[in-house]
Parts: sequence; structure tokens; C-alpha cells
Amino acid sequence: MKPCTKALPAFVLFALLIVRSGYAQESPYFVTYDHHMEEPGNLEIETSSTTDVPRTGQKFFLAPWTELEYGVTANWTAELYLDGQATQGDSTIFTGWRLENRFRPFKREHWINPVLYLEYENINEADRIQKEVEGGAPDVSSPNSTLRRKQDQELETKLILSSDVHDWNLAGNFTATKNFSQHEGFEFGYSVGFYRPLATLASGSNCRLCRENFSAGMEIYGGLGSTLNLGLNDTAHYVAPVLAWLVSDNATLRFSPGFGLTHESCPVLFRFGYSYEVQGLGSKLARLFRRKQE
Amino acid sequence: MRTLILTGSCTLALITAMLAQNTLYWPDPSWRAPETMAGKLNPLADKLWARPGGKKLFLRNCAECHDKDGNGQVKKHSADLQLAVVQQQTDGELFWKITNGNTGRGMPSFSKLPELERWQLVLFLRTLKVTEFQR
Repeated sequence: MKPCTKALPAFVLFALLIVRSGYAQESPYFVTYDHHMEEPGNLEIETSSTTDVPRTGQKFFLAPWTELEYGVTANWTAELYLDGQATQGDSTIFTGWRLENRFRPFKREHWINPVLYLEYENINEADRIQKEVEGGAPDVSSPNSTLRRKQDQELETKLILSSDVHDWNLAGNFTATKNFSQHEGFEFGYSVGFYRPLATLASGSNCRLCRENFSAGMEIYGGLGSTLNLGLNDTAHYVAPVLAWLVSDNATLRFSPGFGLTHESCPVLFRFGYSYEVQGLGSKLARLFRRKQE
Repeated sequence: MRTLILTGSCTLALITAMLAQNTLYWPDPSWRAPETMAGKLNPLADKLWARPGGKKLFLRNCAECHDKDGNGQVKKHSADLQLAVVQQQTDGELFWKITNGNTGRGMPSFSKLPELERWQLVLFLRTLKVTEFQR
């Protein structure tokens, strides 16, 4: 395993060197998905973090994750997530990985555009990125050494409905998750959001602080219980303004403070994200390998 | 150990998917804008000051496949936007094609761009008849 582990960063660096950067006009959502897929052949590398304002007696934590999003085709996007977590006065650990696929069944734009989402998660109970909320808030009191022993293998599905109306994006997601490691039944969650760019006409200059490079909106997400306890009891809900800034042609910064609406929610969640998009990775790699075969 | 094997398998699957990608292009006769859209006029048609913004958007979003002067990249078999078959289409048709894409043939939808920016792209596409970059 060791040679492979060493070779992977070198491979990623090499891939970055042979490709050009791309335009990364990303949606500002952290939790909600819209119907816009990754352009075919492009790879988006994103690093984000979730942190919260701890309640009395709780410790501060930071839950970073790295996301590799690849446009396999114009209507199929695949993503690999690597999650981690660091708690003040405790430890920093790797909490698991996720493999996600999104399929857009219709070729054309419609009033409402459905996207099907399927994700396999292999994470432990110390995972706190809260990329989706189904039940209550994660356990932030127990030590990492205890939480990391509890492994979860989950299959998560989403129905994504999204629409672009007069430069506004409106999106709603319904989530159903099955944890194969525990007898929890199916868990359900939701998220809805909207955003709009602050300007809808591009200027001729390459200004970075122009309004056209910013988009802002709001998302609301939370749990809907499970088949064992359906309803809003003991579930977390958040309302979160979202902001994205296109800092360069290939990089986007995102920020979102999420405010807990129920006692089961964290009081405030802060999320930060930085994404970098590289164009044409697939075709360039294919060409590279084809050349070697000749 | 098991996690490492699974992570390695997933990475390998992603690389395989990358290599399997079809980058070939050929014209799609079934890719036609509805008549209602074909007749739509570009609201920026007489606003030439909006053209540089269209060029910027083109270089950011389209040049990767269609090349900087829109002639399509030979290796990628992308559409040549200078051709009469493209330039003879109405502004409304081009706008519809940018908005919807042709996902089955590798052209993504650019509906994530604001409507006026898509019209700016159409405005710039018209300059490709006499390629700006050759001047």
C-alpha cells in the first residue's frame, strides 16, 4: 500500500501541471444541490470545513473535508469525499470517505429539472462535516477515541429538483438514507435553497471585486426523522445565508453561517469552502495514455 | 487496510471513467431549437459595449472546447463556430443551444450563467465570422 499512497499526491500534482484551469462559477450552496453538473472532463478540487460555536462544556471542533468532483459526461457527475475532524484538547482524525454520483435524466432544461443522487458512505461516528442533516446534531461530547470505533456504512439517495427562474436558482432536495451498520430504519432529510448572482451582465474587464463575481442566497435544511420515528421531533434544522465569490477564473470561495432553529441543532455552524477547477483532465489523460500505447 | 483497498478501488474507478470519456464530436441534426425560441431577439443586439464581456465569458466557458477563435479543436472534434451552418442560425437558436446544451453529445448546459450573460455570448459569437484573433 505504501508505494500507492506516495504515488497518489505525485499523480495529482502531475495532473494539475498538464491541464489548464477552468472557469469555476460555482453555486454558493453547501448542503443543497442544484441541477448544474460538472462540465465533462473537468475536475473540481474543493476543500471545505464545518465548525460550530460550542455550547457550555463542549469543545471546539473543526471538520474539514476534501472533495474531488469529476464530470464523467455532461449528465453524470462523480465525487469522492475524504472527511476529517479535529477537536480541541482531543485529537485530529480521518473520519471516512464517500463516493457520490449524480445523474441528470433529461437532456434539456425544463421548468423543474430532476437529478438523481446516489452516495455510498463509509464513515465513523466522529464525522461532523454535516453535509446533510437527517436526525439531530452529531455527538460532540464523546471523545474521538470512542466515536471512531463506531463505523457506519450508509447508502444515501436524494431527489434533487432545481429550477432557474429569471437568474434565480431555486432548488429542493429530499434525502433518504439507510445505515447498514445499525438498526435505524431509513432516515429522511430535506434542504431547500435559492441564490442569485449579484450582477447579471459581465463587464469587459477582469475585475475581481465586481458584483458579477458574487452570488448570494439562502438555504434551509434539516431532518425529518426516520421510519422508526417519523416527524420533526429530535431533529436539527438550520437556516443559512450563503455567499460565493469567484476569486479568479478557476477558484471560488464560499462562506455560510448556519443558525440552528431547534434545541437539537448546533447553535451556529460556520462553513468555509475553496474550490479549484481544472479543465480537460479526462481528455488530456486519455491522450497521454493513448500516446504511450502507440 | 480494508478502507485503503476500498479507497484505492474507488480512485481506480474514477480514473477508468475519465479514460472512457468520449470526446469525439459530430453534428447532431436532431439538436434544433423550438420555433418559439428561434424567433427571439437578442436584447443586447445594438449594445456593442456588451461585446467585450461576451468575449471574456467565451474565453472562460467555451474556448476549452471550441478554441479561442471558435474554430473548434481538431483533436477534440468540437463544433467550428465560424462555419456558416452555425452563423446562419438566429440569435434565439444560439441562445437556446447555449442554455440547453446537448448533453448526449458532450455539450453542457450553460443555464447556470445569467440570461443576459448568455445573450452576451451570442453577441460575441457573431464576431467570429471575421475572427477577431486573426486580425
